[in-house]
Amino acid sequence: MSDFLVTLAGTAFFWSALIFLVALTLAGLGCIRLALKGEAITSLMGVSCFTTIAGAGLYLISLPELFNVGFARDTAIALLVFGGVGTIVFARIFRTEE
Amino acid sequence: MLEEIFVAVYGAIVIAYVALNIRKGSFIFDASKSIPILIFVFVLASVALALMGTPPAEALEVVMKIGAAGILFAGVAPMIAATVGLFRFNDEHGPSIFYARNHITGVIDVTASLVMIFVGILILRIDLVAVGFFFFLLIPFSGNALANAYYYTYHRRLEK
Repeated sequence: MSDFLVTLAGTAFFWSALIFLVALTLAGLGCIRLALKGEAITSLMGVSCFTTIAGAGLYLISLPELFNVGFARDTAIALLVFGGVGTIVFARIFRTEE
Repeated sequence: MLEEIFVAVYGAIVIAYVALNIRKGSFIFDASKSIPILIFVFVLASVALALMGTPPAEALEVVMKIGAAGILFAGVAPMIAATVGLFRFNDEHGPSIFYARNHITGVIDVTASLVMIFVGILILRIDLVAVGFFFFLLIPFSGNALANAYYYTYHRRLEK
């Protein structure tokens, strides 16, 4: 019974994370489309959203319960932190261009 | 095989429930009632497993991992909805469509950060919670900065 439950929890977590990663990838395609069209700020918004998606996806990949890709964790943290801060900084730069 | 069937049914139920909430535009069951009930059910399941002979720590880990899987399944529906929105709203809707897109990217950001926070809590990964929470705090500032820059750089000029 105990072994079955542990396997059940592991399978549920693995498949849910995999399906969430697929959903993240689809959203990433939308963000890339947004980044490749329109004016500079729309592109900045698309890139900002893509850094979120890439960061969350890489962090999930780095979890030992899933794929255990250790080095993806540092990349994910950098993307999430610098993506958000960079968006604010570049938005301020674009705003002062007027 | 039994595990995969359970996962398929569990995932379908959670995704369908979240999709119905999104379609309705509000909670079907109020979150202030449904979340305590869910926590109670998970605690009850842990106690039941422990009474059936599973070691308590293992029972708690199993239940929390299944809860984390539920959170991940719940994040799928908003992501798909946001993707449809990003592909659907094109430039023919006028210059104000930027704000709708800004809202959609905000939905993606909030979903990703909330999934990171709650999954981190349930699988006991504090670093995941910390990064998710830090990012959650940054989201409103970046969204506001983008909208502000768009308004003062393009939109106000178009209005003139």
